[in-house]
Amino acid sequence: MDPSGIFATSYRADRRLVRTRWQALSLILFIAVLLAAPYLVGPRIVAILNIMYISAVVAVGLQICTGYAGQINLGQAAFMGVGAYTAAILAEKTGLSFLLTIPIAGFAAAVFGFLFGLTAARIKGFYLALTTIAAQFIFHFAVLNLPSSWLGGSNGVTVPPATLFGLRIVSEGAQYYLMLFVAAIMVAGAFGIVRSRFGRAFVAVRDDDVAAGIMGINVAATKANAFLIGAFYAGVGGGLWAYLIRFVGVDQFTLFNSVFFIAMIIVGGMGSIVGALIGVFVIRVIQEIIATVGPNIAESVTFLGGDIVFAGMNVILGGVIALFMILEPKGLMHRWTILKSSYRIWPFPY
Amino acid sequence: MIYVINDIITGALIGLLYALVAMGFVVIYRASKVFNFAQGELVILGGFIVWYTTFELGLDLWLAITLSLLLSALAGYLIERIFLTKLIGESVFSMVMVTVGLLILLRGIVLLLFGPAVRPFPVIFPLKPLFLGEMLIPMNLLIGGLITIVAAVGLSWFFNRTRAGLRMTAVAEDHVVASSMGISVKGSIAFAWVLGAVLSTVGAMIFLSGKSLTFLASEIGFAALPVALFAGLESIGGLILAGVIVGVAQSLATNYLDPLVGGALGTVVPYLIMLGILLVRPTGLFGWRTIERV
Repeated sequence: MDPSGIFATSYRADRRLVRTRWQALSLILFIAVLLAAPYLVGPRIVAILNIMYISAVVAVGLQICTGYAGQINLGQAAFMGVGAYTAAILAEKTGLSFLLTIPIAGFAAAVFGFLFGLTAARIKGFYLALTTIAAQFIFHFAVLNLPSSWLGGSNGVTVPPATLFGLRIVSEGAQYYLMLFVAAIMVAGAFGIVRSRFGRAFVAVRDDDVAAGIMGINVAATKANAFLIGAFYAGVGGGLWAYLIRFVGVDQFTLFNSVFFIAMIIVGGMGSIVGALIGVFVIRVIQEIIATVGPNIAESVTFLGGDIVFAGMNVILGGVIALFMILEPKGLMHRWTILKSSYRIWPFPY
Repeated sequence: MIYVINDIITGALIGLLYALVAMGFVVIYRASKVFNFAQGELVILGGFIVWYTTFELGLDLWLAITLSLLLSALAGYLIERIFLTKLIGESVFSMVMVTVGLLILLRGIVLLLFGPAVRPFPVIFPLKPLFLGEMLIPMNLLIGGLITIVAAVGLSWFFNRTRAGLRMTAVAEDHVVASSMGISVKGSIAFAWVLGAVLSTVGAMIFLSGKSLTFLASEIGFAALPVALFAGLESIGGLILAGVIVGVAQSLATNYLDPLVGGALGTVVPYLIMLGILLVRPTGLFGWRTIERV
């Protein structure tokens, strides 16, 4: 809902993403802060921000697939892994530029995702959750059992630094801007996708696929598209991950990680791109707090042993998912919208 | 030849064990239409309860088993009360996601309570294999297989022939309609979770008897998944057949295909079967075909 006094006089104006001067101003301010971040905060926070950008790309992809199109996907980390391996192998064996490896990584993951999208055309609900879990297992099996000269087996693959126009991106600052730039493009693209006819078809299929079919939407193609786009985002995120960590191993893309991405979109709010970004921020911050506080607790409470970080991560992540599903199924974004409109119509209750 | 027969028999018995764990899925699904992804975690929870009552409390074996079954029933009841009751009437997505959350949560809680250390598991079934001529059959799996069959027959009778069982089927069909017919939805779901937790504990006893116990044993939940889907989620009797087929296929793949491809193809075979089934016949071998009308 808009603040009072804002009236759109054309359809185009009504559909705009940024509608008021304040919104434009705060967006510019937000971008400026992100651009200035390496000069404002220490290298540790910059590293966390890099991870957040990559997670944002992957989570936004999952948001399109699950939040908008309603296709439950428990294999997003496997799709991300396909992208990461593709980028890593291409960069290592052929020395292709970053500008080429990242889109190819995205397409490779998209093809892998599309295969599972085809099953999605036939089955729905939790059956789909099961096939995507199968994607997760098949990915693991493939990596570990293909000849180790191909994908490195259990040893993983080391990745050379990204090259862009013949330059090697090695400094932390350059890496930061690269991650920020790609993430910004992908997120902006997501806003476009969900406003396009594809995005509207996704929402129609999510809300009622029979009704959507009657309205002339090709339901099977739409579901497969949702997986295609979601997996493309995961692949790009995986490619970025390969260049950031400079090492790709099969353990980085487990079912546990897939559940992490789902937790992000649940916490942020289903069916909202901004929600996905909020979810990424909240979950990554929680994760960082556990990773920092955990070892201290483990020191003072000795009987728990050293695995407390992993165990605590499990308890909090699982608890967050379950509690949000029970108490706040629409996520933080919904709460924020309510807050905003009650501020705007104050002192009236509705 | 004798090795092949041996592999088939062992595979079939392991398949029956999967079927027992899968029965936990089916019972909860039949009574509440909730698919419980945390089944494997219920198995390790049961396993740790058994370990706790026998080794930490030092109880007599039979007393420990009885107490463990009671405790796991309580655990199942508590899980249902805390997480599932609140979601009656909500979408499939919420239910699935809560059990996924539960999967992660239970794993973390087990890790916090019992730590990552490897624990011994009491010998509940005799370890000595049964020799039939040249064949040897693992005794614990044989007894486990018999328990599975007995449980399957008993539960099919319960769900198909008794009033209470049929009432639960109505709950699974539609929570809202069932409760307006005067059927207690909460009671039905609670009973299903108690049953699911108890079956998981029995599964843990057969699976782990005389072996060691870590939280990694929860993988059996994912191994049982394809069996549940193959049978079709509504059929308890079908689990026996599905379990045997999947178990034999896995055993043969492990013994004869793994050396050829040089890897653990055996562990993926159940999933490949599952994917094939989902593509050809999404409702499984004996599942109910529901007709969707506009």
